[in-house]
Amino acid sequence: MKYTPRALIAEVTHRCPLHCVYCSNPLEMQRRSDELSTGDWATIFEQASGMGVVQLHLTGGEPLSRTDLTELVRAGREAHLYLNLITSGVGLDEPRLDALIDAGLDHIQLSFQDAEEAPANEFAGTRSHAFKLRVAGMIRQRRIAFTINIVIHRRNIRRLEEMIAFAEQSGAQRLEIAHVQYYGWALRNRDALLPTREQLDRSVEIVDAARERLQGRLRIDFVLPDYYAKFPKPCMNGWGHQQMLIDPAGRVLPCHAASVIPGLEFSSARERPLRWIWEESPAFNRFRDESWMPEPCRSCDRRTRDFGGCRCQAFLLAGDAATTDPVCTLAPMHTIVEETLQRVNGGGDRSWVYRIDPR
Amino acid sequence: MSGLAQDSVLRLAPGCRLSAAGGPEDLLLIPEGALRLKGPARTIVELCDGKRTLPKIVEELKRRYPTEDAFRIETEAVALLSRLRDRGVLEHV
Ligand SMILES: C[S@@+](CC[C@H](N)C(=O)[O-])C[C@H]1O[C@@H](n2cnc3c(N)ncnc32)[C@H](O)[C@@H]1O
Ligand code: SF4
Ligand code: SF4
Repeated sequence: MKYTPRALIAEVTHRCPLHCVYCSNPLEMQRRSDELSTGDWATIFEQASGMGVVQLHLTGGEPLSRTDLTELVRAGREAHLYLNLITSGVGLDEPRLDALIDAGLDHIQLSFQDAEEAPANEFAGTRSHAFKLRVAGMIRQRRIAFTINIVIHRRNIRRLEEMIAFAEQSGAQRLEIAHVQYYGWALRNRDALLPTREQLDRSVEIVDAARERLQGRLRIDFVLPDYYAKFPKPCMNGWGHQQMLIDPAGRVLPCHAASVIPGLEFSSARERPLRWIWEESPAFNRFRDESWMPEPCRSCDRRTRDFGGCRCQAFLLAGDAATTDPVCTLAPMHTIVEETLQRVNGGGDRSWVYRIDPR
Repeated sequence: MSGLAQDSVLRLAPGCRLSAAGGPEDLLLIPEGALRLKGPARTIVELCDGKRTLPKIVEELKRRYPTEDAFRIETEAVALLSRLRDRGVLEHV
């Protein structure tokens, strides 16, 4: 097998006490009663490690909504994986944090919606900001790697400098600033969330200046909105090349959005060995090499770098997963993206819809 | 950023650790992913135990690799360590 999986993204639940307007989680979510058990996950971690996976990202939904999270961390460490928890912090207290660290947690990525309380709570659809601040305080007192994640969009981007200043004094070593990626719920709210070209340019300037100023103190990762890019992002570094995602019910996917693509059957880790799913399953092989590519990708020099962009985005925007990602300026369907950009660069702010939690 | 002071004492920063000894490959696991360690790199990082000073690390390396050029050992070790320090993988004690 040419491709070795290096990271496993484990969506351990879709349940979440927050209702972020930009949430990229799928519209159709797995229910609690369908969730994998602690033992199911432990078996998966063992298999993944044996295949070459070194990093385990525990995410969701809100992973803290699972009462067995500490056991999941322990099982991951026993399988020799590096343990990263991606969390809103809601559900954490000091004893639980200590237990997670004792069990072998290596890194926490804590998300914030804003630097200011009122808008943060508005974007989360929950009064969670003050609690998150207390969680950040708990984390900084302990010896564990700490990243702050803030998703930025049209309605909070004007406070980007305040967000960076907040991260700077939070005790985090790293800040991830991510422009919204338009999947799941976020796509539904796209017109309300997409920044204007001016806002985007300003955010790039601010981040560049902050990186310079904070060198050696705070590392900044910056995810740009691909709608404004000339070429698409190398999504997941290639379909089935380095990463796999397992959803709460055990379905194994090349990425978190892939379940939207019709006609692909994603096998369950409950029913099949992980190695078979990775190496042999038709879904993982569907877009792995270049044989699916139409023009202009097929004869484009960039195809080995961006793999023709994101298959899920191609389906979501153009209705065909096997076409060039419409964000690419060379794509035949690029006009869809241009029209969207014209729309959001024209009018004023639009309203959004809140995400709801599965039962 | 520049080189390392002679009295530097380094250790792995929180969230950074070596892959299990004797595993299929030597990796330095960090929040952003994994760095592949080639040749003596694993040993060099292991010597950053939060106690040894830089000269002690170099001395120990020279002892362990007696057939290698001493000057080369020193420049390569210092280059690796300062790079890892700049990336936040190693921290000063
Ligand atoms: C889906 S969340 C799940 C973990 C946890 N509930 C949280 O929010 O931190 C995983 C990460 O993706 C980020 N995120 C959510 N929706 C996003 C989007 N549309 N674009 C980019 N990042 C997003 C979150 O801020 C979080 O860091
Ligand atoms: S992004 Fe918000 S709504 Fe989505 S899973 Fe995380 S906390 Fe929940
Ligand atoms: S045409 Fe295809 S390969 Fe070329 S830049 Fe666009 S998406 Fe990438």
